[in-house]
Amino acid sequence: MNARTRGLLLLTPATLFVFVAFLVPLAILLAGSFQRDDGAIGLQRYVEFFADPLHQEVVLRTLRIGALVTLAAIALGYVAALAIVDLSPTSRARLVGLVTLPIMISPVARTYAWIVLLGRTGLVNNLALQFGLTDAPLRFLYTEPAVFVGLLQLLLPLMILSLVSALENVPRDAVPAARMLGANWWVVFTRVLLPLTRDGLATGGVLVFTGAITAYITPAMLGGAKILMLETLLYQRVNVTDDIATATVITALLVSMSILAKLVLSRLAKGRSK
Amino acid sequence: MQHARLIATLRRIGILAIAVSGVAYLAYVFFHEPGDDQGGDRLVISVYGVSQDSFRKNLYAPFEAECGCTLVVETGNSAERLSKLAARKNNPEVDLAVFSDFDALAALRRGLLDPIDVSRLSNYNKLYEFARDPIGGHMAVGYTVYATGIVYRTDKVAISSWRDLWSPSLKDRLVLPTLTSSGGPLLLQMLERAAGGSDPTFAGALAQVAANKRSVVTFFERSANLVQLFQQGEAWAAVTGRYNLPLLLRLNMPIAWASPSEGDAGGRNVLVLIKGSRRRALALRFLDKWLSTEVQTAMALDLVDSPANREATLPPNVASLLTYGPEMIERMNFIAPAVVLDHRAAWTKAWNETIAR
Amino acid sequence: MNGRALQWTALGAVLLFLLGPFVIILAAGVSDGETLTFPPEGVSLRWAASVVAIAELRHAFAISFALAVLSTLGALLLGIPAAYALERLDPPGANIVRAVVTSPLVVPGIVVGLALLRYFVIPLGIGVRPALLASHIALLIPYAVRVVAASLRNLRVDIEDAAIMLGATPLQAFFQIVAPNIRNGVIASFILSFITSFNQVPVSLFLSGPGISTLPIEMLARIDFTYDPSIAALSAMLALLSIAIVFLAERLLGLSRYV
Repeated sequence: MNARTRGLLLLTPATLFVFVAFLVPLAILLAGSFQRDDGAIGLQRYVEFFADPLHQEVVLRTLRIGALVTLAAIALGYVAALAIVDLSPTSRARLVGLVTLPIMISPVARTYAWIVLLGRTGLVNNLALQFGLTDAPLRFLYTEPAVFVGLLQLLLPLMILSLVSALENVPRDAVPAARMLGANWWVVFTRVLLPLTRDGLATGGVLVFTGAITAYITPAMLGGAKILMLETLLYQRVNVTDDIATATVITALLVSMSILAKLVLSRLAKGRSK
Repeated sequence: MQHARLIATLRRIGILAIAVSGVAYLAYVFFHEPGDDQGGDRLVISVYGVSQDSFRKNLYAPFEAECGCTLVVETGNSAERLSKLAARKNNPEVDLAVFSDFDALAALRRGLLDPIDVSRLSNYNKLYEFARDPIGGHMAVGYTVYATGIVYRTDKVAISSWRDLWSPSLKDRLVLPTLTSSGGPLLLQMLERAAGGSDPTFAGALAQVAANKRSVVTFFERSANLVQLFQQGEAWAAVTGRYNLPLLLRLNMPIAWASPSEGDAGGRNVLVLIKGSRRRALALRFLDKWLSTEVQTAMALDLVDSPANREATLPPNVASLLTYGPEMIERMNFIAPAVVLDHRAAWTKAWNETIAR
Repeated sequence: MNGRALQWTALGAVLLFLLGPFVIILAAGVSDGETLTFPPEGVSLRWAASVVAIAELRHAFAISFALAVLSTLGALLLGIPAAYALERLDPPGANIVRAVVTSPLVVPGIVVGLALLRYFVIPLGIGVRPALLASHIALLIPYAVRVVAASLRNLRVDIEDAAIMLGATPLQAFFQIVAPNIRNGVIASFILSFITSFNQVPVSLFLSGPGISTLPIEMLARIDFTYDPSIAALSAMLALLSIAIVFLAERLLGLSRYV
């Protein structure tokens, strides 16, 4: 038995399993989105989906929140990652551990913490009142900002970790050299650091964006029925109104958004760094 | 040397044995159906998640002791239950389920239910009229009735009509059921009535909600997170079933049940038998137990469900918190399940276009 | 060094944002008060004890734990041979296979749950328990394949070749030479998979059924009608459990390299 046959043999169980218990069911669900009510193939379900103004709004909101969370994660991610790579290897490892922690904690527990924090009688409002930032408690729960904050906390660690490993590969003397040549901080960032960490940025960007548009618990708990995103809309359509036609279209949208984000960002990373 | 190798091998075998038996134990935990080891029958029921502790104490445990069987309980809201049952239509897991009356009719229309042989229910004749045949054809029996009305913070607002929901002082403090929850149609019915209409398309009611949607904190799908909302100060008034009142009163806030001039909406929950379930006799026995005077009284005393059994007698301090007695039940505005089902698609369309956005 | 100070302040703020909520939930969970408040009223473990006393939650914990271990083992059993083949044996169509076995990573959980329920579990008449297990295995295979493949990549091919030249069969070479060297990768993938499965919600939401509910789902349902600190106490206990696992893993093998 040669290596290639052995290779095929070893691959078969996993591949077969993923096919039967994942890809085929998904493909059937996706194919359903192209089925018209009379059984023929067509785009009727998409036309009907986008004709509903609620659906348009949910799609736009999902993209908007995904983009905002990604941008915020990039900004905060660089700030944190630049500080972390400045540290000695031991404390760097310790901080990376701290950043990894939130990823490991149950999203339900994590989001519950935000409910406690953001309620009208929660800590954020109490502090704001005490420092006179507001006269009356503000409503955060069931608003877009609440979903944004929850998703950012959920996904920021992924961006920081990607950027830390990218920055670790930047030559140690690149920044001092640029500074010596008279470049200011902004020029160093855009001309030196950004091009050298483009790969990490793209990886982190994909993780954060797809994470944001496909998260379920955070929008369900912090947004509710008023701030629907595609995932919560899908759950509602299936389990509350038994509307599979709409669910197939949402499936297709979510899957293509994830794949598109991956393609675009990895193209961006490769194209520029060459 | 040989000795050391032997010990190493033995240790390796020992670790392996521990690991294998650990995994085997976990597999047992995971695949073990509750009740398998008791040898008796299993009855699978699907119910609402609220107050399961009371149900266990007053109904499940006594029933299990009587029948020598095991109850497997699945919890969730009415709509989720309906869609899960529909998905597993050809191979039902559940024997008996509870629904709101109109979701029971929806289940019936989708061919998920079997008729109930009421002649085999010893408690059937003790039921109020509303509970005897709520969706026709003896496909369901009611087990509880509840007023759906307004709870509010008495220190913040005054409520004397359903129209007061739109008062400016409730801006950003109002919580309403979403249309797809059991309370949704009941809310619309009362708003329509408050506006003097009786049009089953609920156009007037939908317009009212749409015009005031900015004051609404959230439209909830499960009534239960009301407790959270009141406690966090997010809600000063909400439309909900009366079964939530005792829970809310435990918050020690000035919360009361409003008596609007239009009255309250009436909601019924019913028990149904799932088509194709194999444990029919046991399911009927459980259903009969649920309707018994003893269980109905106990559940009422725990302030969980108002009785559908006329012979359940309650002390006044308990009765005042529940939906109890012929007069109160008479006064409520019930909505025919068929009306809900026939118009729900149109309501949903209007709701999505003008309110959910 | 004003810039430096600014940098540290910013890092501190980010860490506060990431970790602050846990401090709050921890504090709220050990409160002695009747309702959920921050700052807590006194310190007591009675809410933690009250959670442990609930039979449904204990059962859900056992189910979640068993499900996480079993699905992780299943995924490793399928994933390690696949990773080995992909890295070492150059099978035809390797890139396509790699895309196939890692595809569950890019699909949202809600979609996975729905697709599996309608077009895998129901048509094949699979019971609730095997269905839940199969769905978790499918979700975890990508982690097994990716992490194990990464550690295989760091292992030189020639020591294995040397063993085979010295007369070992490929199987012996794998278990005596390769396995000990990728052990850390396997453990890392075990921990990642365990935590992923243990915390999984959307897929389980569709595939759980009568008598079998996972801990996060049970928790999600209880949040709705709980106003005392018990859910905060449960959240805190789960967070501490995760922290303990991660801390141990970090200590033992530097887990974060694999995330």
